[in-house]
Parts: sequence; C-alpha cells; structure tokens
Amino acid sequence: MRGRKLYSLILLNGGIGSRVAAGQPKQFVSVNGLPIIVYSLVAADAVDEIDEIILNYPEGWRDDVEKLVVDYAVRKPVTYAPAGATRHESVRSLLPLARNEHVLLHETARPLVTAADFRRLIASPHDNVSFMLPIPFTVAPVDPATGKVTGHLERDRLRNVQLPQKYRLSDLADAHAYAEANGLIFTEDGTLATVAGKDVYFLDGADRNFKVTTATDVRLAGFLLGGDDEGE
Amino acid sequence: MSERRSVLITGASKGIGAATAERFMAADNGVTDLILLARESAEFTATQERLHAGNPHGKAIRPYYVDLADRARTVGVLKDVMAEVGRVDILVNNAGYTSPRAFQQVEFADFERTMAVNLYAPFTLVQELLHNGNTFELIVNIASTAGMAGRPGWLTYSASKAALITMSEVMKEELAIYGTRVVCISPGRCATDLRKTLAPDEDPTTIMQPEDVAGVIEMLTTDVGRFVDSRNLVVRL
Repeated sequence: MRGRKLYSLILLNGGIGSRVAAGQPKQFVSVNGLPIIVYSLVAADAVDEIDEIILNYPEGWRDDVEKLVVDYAVRKPVTYAPAGATRHESVRSLLPLARNEHVLLHETARPLVTAADFRRLIASPHDNVSFMLPIPFTVAPVDPATGKVTGHLERDRLRNVQLPQKYRLSDLADAHAYAEANGLIFTEDGTLATVAGKDVYFLDGADRNFKVTTATDVRLAGFLLGGDDEGE
Repeated sequence: MSERRSVLITGASKGIGAATAERFMAADNGVTDLILLARESAEFTATQERLHAGNPHGKAIRPYYVDLADRARTVGVLKDVMAEVGRVDILVNNAGYTSPRAFQQVEFADFERTMAVNLYAPFTLVQELLHNGNTFELIVNIASTAGMAGRPGWLTYSASKAALITMSEVMKEELAIYGTRVVCISPGRCATDLRKTLAPDEDPTTIMQPEDVAGVIEMLTTDVGRFVDSRNLVVRL
C-alpha cells in the first residue's frame, strides 16, 4: 500500500521478575497455559504495518526466546538483543536496531494487548502517542524522608502510563540523548520524551491491558484470557 | 473471487471422511481446494472419481497418500501440502483406526497403532501446520461416544478417543490466540467400516449414516456454525 507508514516494534522482554517466577525469568511464566511472551508476539504478528520486531532477552536466555519465536511461527523478522541493566538503558540500546522512521514500544509483561490496540496507536495522527488510563483513586505527593504529605494532585490531570506507545524514532533518540547528557533515568519513555521537549499525546487505554507483575496478576490475566469473563 | 480457502480431510477414502469431502464438493461455500489424505486403496480411487464426476463449482481435488501411523511420512506430506496449496483453513481430523480386543488380548503394537492414528496424527497435523506458519479458521476433531465412557472389548479405541476429546479442549483454549475455532464431535453408532469392526452383527441401515455426520461438519463451517461452542458435540441417532 503506497504511503503507508511501516513500524518497528521494540518489544521489551528483559526484566527478571523475582516475585512471579521461581528460577526463571518472568517472560517464560505461563499465563492461561502459554508463555506470557507469546501473546504480544501473536498480536504484533497480525498487524500489517509492523514489519519487524526487535526483541530483547535476559542474559543467558536467548536460545529459549528464539525457540519460542520458532515454535509459534512468528512471521515478522525478529532481531534479538541483550537486555540492558535498566529498562531505560534497554530502550536506548534497542533504538539503533530499528530500520523504520517510526517505532512501537511494548513489553511482554502486558499479555492482554491486542492487534487492535497497535492499530489504534498507528491510526493516531500524532507521531508520539501513549495509551494512558485515567486514575480512579487519589494520589498524594509525599516526602518519604519526613513522612509528611506535601500537597495535592488533581487526579483529572494525572494518567496511569501504559504500553504500547509509538514514537518517531528520531524524537525518541533525541530524548534519550537528552537524558544521557543530563544524567536522567526514566522508568518509561512518554514522560522522558515530554521532559526532553517533544510533543507526546495520549489515548485512553483499557484497564484490561495491565502489567503482570505479581502472582495474583498472573491468575487475573489467565482468567481474562481464558474467555470465561462474560458473566456466563 | 481469487481468494482460496482449503479444507484438509484425513481418512478421506471412505466413511465420514469421504461423505464430508462430497458435502464440501457440492457446497457453494467458498472452499476452493479439497486436500484429501488417506492410504492408497481402490476405495480412495473410487472416491476421487466420484468427486471429479460431480464438481459443479470447479474445486481442486488434491489427494495425498499417507498412512497416518507413519509420523515421519505425515510430516513430509504436510510440508508438501504447504508448498503446493499454501494454507489449510479448515482441518477435519477424521481418520480412525480400531482393532477391538479384550484387555488380556490387546497386542501392544496394535494399541500403539490406535494411538498413532487416532491421537498422535491429529496432534502432528495441527502442530506441524502451525510450525509451518499456517493459522486455521476451524479444526474439527472426530472423536466418538466410545471416548466418553469405556466399554468392554474396546479399550484401545475408547482410550484413544477419550484422549482426543481432552486434547481438543486444550487446543480450543490455546489456539484462541489465533481466533481458531476447535470443535470436537463425538458420533454415536454410524454406518462405517470401523463400526462394522466394532459391531459386526449390527444392521448398518438401522443406524446413523456417514452423510449425517458430514452434514454436521459442514454446518460447523457455515455462519451458523460459529454459534456452536460445545466442548464435545455429540452426534447420534
């Protein structure tokens, strides 16, 4: 299709989840019987605009990750790279591997992502976009050192930052260069790009698309993926 | 319409497999390619001749000769299918084998052959085609009411079909990520050669016919078939 933008998917798969999995990285944790990484790979594989996947692996687990990609017959070409020491570092080190001007960013710890989520992001007219979720509770700023509450935050003006996100590659690379020059480390890239002076927009995300970090999350994700959540 | 849609039927030489092939041949259902797997036999040849004789929609008939107990050969045939047809949209795991014996008379090699044809072959077909990058629209596994309750003298057959029923449940869950529907059908008494082996004294005209089961399989591929979501669809007279 002429004029259609192609995207590189940067799929973060590096973190070791000591809380969820005994003796293996959480990427191999089974959710509803399938390794958690499979859900993101299959969702991405169904999106025509994604023409490559850049996937990182925890140190020592490359063969296992490659085998999963083969077993599930992922059709998009996959580039493998080792995970960095932090999430911030992982993203920065993966950016030079992307061959498209536009990238999608996702993490395998969110198995409830759908192909439709990627397509909605791609359809946004903006270059830099993140799914974000309204916050249904109140967040207070505090000073942990003194134990004091320090003010008030308007929850209507706050969002829970989710993945996937999309960026113009040069914008995200600029943002990481800015962070490096200023000695800043971020836990996600939407706020990093914003602080670095880029325009970043948000789309309302879904609460289903949560990050699996605890054993309870694994069970909840399995329940939702099992398809028995329609009140039948 | 240049879009191809294919159905692969195992055990297509006779019985429910042949009847299903005939249903798909006659139906104006967008299926363009019939991939038929069976051992070489006079019956298979006759079935193909019958299909060619009545082909109102100009469908392609693609026979592959294989004994499904031979896993290595089956894997090879599936590679050929993917190279020659490119895709399997609908898979009907129909081939069945039985040699009923009382427990103490079961020959282990025969038990192995029963499991190979009735259980491992459907597994191999689905797994190999997935590994080759195929995603299915619908998989129909033909089990049996004999797999729902054990019967004296049918140990190997009952055990293989019970395993096929539970394997279908797992497939249904795991292949949901591709939007694949998996349906397990358990026919009751049906007038096939296999039934004759199990119940030699029965008058086949008094029981369900292969065409009846084929009708149910075809229904599953239609728009209304999407609404059938049974862990094990029992089809009996």
